[in-house]
Amino acid sequence: MIFIPYLTENFLKYFLFLLICFFIFLLSGSANAYSEKDLKKITSKLRCMTCQNQSIHDSDADFSKDIKKIIVQKLENGHTEKEIIKFLVKRYGEYIVFEPQMNIKNYFLWFFPFVILAISLIFLIFRIKKN
Amino acid sequence: MKRIILIIPFVLTLIVSGFLLFYLLQDKDPKKPPSALLNEDIPKIEIPDLFNEKNFLTNVDFKDKLILVNFFASWCAPCKVEHPLFFKIKEDHPSLFIIGVDYKDLKNDALDYLKKDGNPYNFVGYDKQGLIGLEFGVFGLPETFLINKKGKIIYKHLGPLDKKIIENDIYPLLN
Repeated sequence: MIFIPYLTENFLKYFLFLLICFFIFLLSGSANAYSEKDLKKITSKLRCMTCQNQSIHDSDADFSKDIKKIIVQKLENGHTEKEIIKFLVKRYGEYIVFEPQMNIKNYFLWFFPFVILAISLIFLIFRIKKN
Repeated sequence: MKRIILIIPFVLTLIVSGFLLFYLLQDKDPKKPPSALLNEDIPKIEIPDLFNEKNFLTNVDFKDKLILVNFFASWCAPCKVEHPLFFKIKEDHPSLFIIGVDYKDLKNDALDYLKKDGNPYNFVGYDKQGLIGLEFGVFGLPETFLINKKGKIIYKHLGPLDKKIIENDIYPLLN
């Protein structure tokens, strides 16, 4: 009975210490995992400018390594995916992204299939009505 | 009305073909992606001097000057091929301010290279980590940029320069 409070006090201290360590580990672990996931997501959307149609994520070229480093720095500084892609497009042009961006130059590319579809539907409705 | 509707697909096909033909005839080289910075202002930069890293070249120094910026490195074989041509450019256009930027290189290797092959540049910058190159959208060496007196990038060449490129593309822009 005398021994128990002594053990309990030490045990509580030890337990508290472990708990803090666990939370620190958990927080750092989750932050890295998030960054890795984010890094993969962003780098998969970017083209390695010095490779044959490879993404920055898949490439081990020096250029890709440099861009990965820059993206990691930007992620650590709290930049969003949109901001990072905008930063790179400003310097390397739209060629660095696999998916064409939604801007005035690409409206034709994005919307023309829908225009064709709409016209085809009108044409089809007109034909059906006639028949 | 019926005739107009029947003509629409034909007209649309013509428009699409016209667009495609226009882009095909633009003589685009897939190996040379367009530069995002062409016709844009030069990025805000501070280039440390290779010979004395306490000295910097900033955007203020770019004012009212025709500038040729050449990214090179001692480890870059094509840079060595184009290197003597910068002496010729300097001789033909003494008023042109030629900047060499030593990109991701060892300082001593770059100094040895310039000592051995000569220094045709008015200023040699040192871009140890490639951050200046990043601002210029550099991804392969050598790369050369021509900046007009208003501070706009008016020409970019990816790869080594040769006499034909200098005479046909760069010299007309200098005059």
